[in-house]
Order: sequence, then structure tokens, then C-alpha cells
Amino acid sequence: MIGLHIPDSFIPLLQAAVYWVIALVFIALSLRWARAEMREEKVPLVAVLAAGIFAIQAVNVPIPWGTSGHMVGAALAAIVLGSPFAAVFVLTLVLIVQGVLFGDGGITVMGANIINMGVIGGFVGFYSYKGLNRAIRNPYPAAFVAAWLSLFVSALACAVEMAIAGTFPLGLGLFSMGLYHAVIGVIEGAITTVALYLIVTARPDILPKESGVTA
Amino acid sequence: MKKDNILIFGIIIALVIAVAAPFIASSNPDGLESAFFGIFGAKEIHGSELNEDAAVAAEEQVQEITGNTFSYAAPFPDYSIEGLAKMGEALAIVAGTILVLLVAFGLGKAFSRPG
Repeated sequence: MIGLHIPDSFIPLLQAAVYWVIALVFIALSLRWARAEMREEKVPLVAVLAAGIFAIQAVNVPIPWGTSGHMVGAALAAIVLGSPFAAVFVLTLVLIVQGVLFGDGGITVMGANIINMGVIGGFVGFYSYKGLNRAIRNPYPAAFVAAWLSLFVSALACAVEMAIAGTFPLGLGLFSMGLYHAVIGVIEGAITTVALYLIVTARPDILPKESGVTA
Repeated sequence: MKKDNILIFGIIIALVIAVAAPFIASSNPDGLESAFFGIFGAKEIHGSELNEDAAVAAEEQVQEITGNTFSYAAPFPDYSIEGLAKMGEALAIVAGTILVLLVAFGLGKAFSRPG
């Protein structure tokens, strides 16, 4: 079911260790963000989002070319919680449970998976959402495009890591990962937009002002 | 909607997705696997036929390339519980969802800014 989840054999150990070090820096920054910005009353929302993201990641949707893909959820977490570090916090937790209990994504390469899905997914999703929402003043198309972009860029980053690892040739890796995830990104965009709409409709005040949504 | 209600609604949605997942999810290789099989000649990039033997060979070949032979035996590999087929998968994903909920809540409480 792995989606973008890299298995252990795809990256040499030394490179995997470098990705772990980078991931740990971002995990530390996300914990610092939580201490400074994540108010205690937000914790139940963080927990429900993490649980929902874990569950939806188990749903692989068929796409053309005998392939499937599932939502990652980094853009949604970042937009709803108002920070890319929220996505790092949530996705790290989801990836640890997936890897340790279910063998979904490797252990030595978990740092790379945290970078791709949590860090890159969260930062691309959050800042492209912010920029687009400011430009077009409509959170829903902004969320759709931002979520699509967050998944697409995560997939390209994964292809670059595969090229550095010697696993994929760069051009063919970028092409095939880009092709499949351009389609999977539509699923990411659609679910992110629907989830954001449902949350805003039910509780407009639950979103932070960083999310730029006014009901 | 009251704050507690939206949270309960969210948990219910997550659990419904978790139960349904093994029954509705596609078993096609996902994006990264499909790219991998395409590049290693077990399937066409634009094709849908997977050559199972070539897929097994590809997995051995990539270990030789990277030298990463680390293997970890997860207790519930691929969300399966031994002997329980699809119901076991549903159970595994539900248990995982509840675990993520509890751990996120606990860690969130530990690291959040006190109100």
C-alpha cells in the first residue's frame, strides 16, 4: 500500500542516515513549534486529523497504467492547523506507526519518508496555499492546487533521492513519478478541499487566522 | 456544530474509512512501486501488466545496487493479521487509527503550549 513510502532496500544506508539527520532537525523544530504555537485546546483536533490521515492513507485509489495511489494529507494538516510544522508533527507520527507496526515504509529510510511527505509536503502545501489564497481570495481552489502541488513536489523529491541512491535514472524517475503522482495529486486535492470545506462549515472558528479562511 | 461534536464526527469518519479501506482499496502497485517496476522492466511505465517473476528479480536487484539489505519483520506486515484475511486488515487499520489518535493526543498534550 505504500504510496510514496520508500522501502529500506531503495536507499544506501549512509544516505539514509543523512536523511534521518535532516528529518530529526525538522522534528525538533516541529516540537519547538508545538511548544510555542500549538495551544492545548487544539490537541484533540491534531489527534483527530492524525487518525484520519492514517486511515485515509490505507485507501489506495486505482489510477491508469495499472497503478494506484493514496492521499498523504500533509497539506490538509498544515492548512487546518496553520503551520507547515503541524504537518511534520502529524506525518512523522503516522509514518512511525506505519513503518514500525505495519512495515509500510522502511525503518532505515524513514527519515527520507518524513522529509518527503512531512517536510516537503507540509511546506509546499502550506506556502502555496497561503500565496494562492491571497491572490484569488478563495480558500477552496487554493487548497486544491496547494494539495496537488504538495504531493507532486514530494514525488519529484523522492525521484531525485532515488537518482542519488542509484536506484532510478534521474530522467525516467522524474517522468514516471511525476506522471503517476500528477494523477494521484487530483485525489489529494479533492479530499483536502472536501475536508477543509466540511471543517469550515461545521466550525469556522476552529481554523487559525493563518489559514486565511473566513466563513 | 459544537466543538466536541465535530471531533466525534471526525473520529467516526476515520473509523469508517479504516474499516472500509481493505475492501475498497486497489491492490495495484502504488506510484513509487509502479515507477520502480517500470524502470526495472517488470512492467511498462504506461502499461498495466505486471510480470511477477520480474518483480521479484527487481527487488533482489535493487538490494544489490544500494547494498541496503536491512530487513525488519513488522508485527502486522501490510496491515495483515495472520489467518484473518480481509477482516484482519480492517482490524489492523482500525487498531492503527486508534493508536495514532491516542499517541497524537498524548504527545500533543505533552508538547502543546499550556492554555
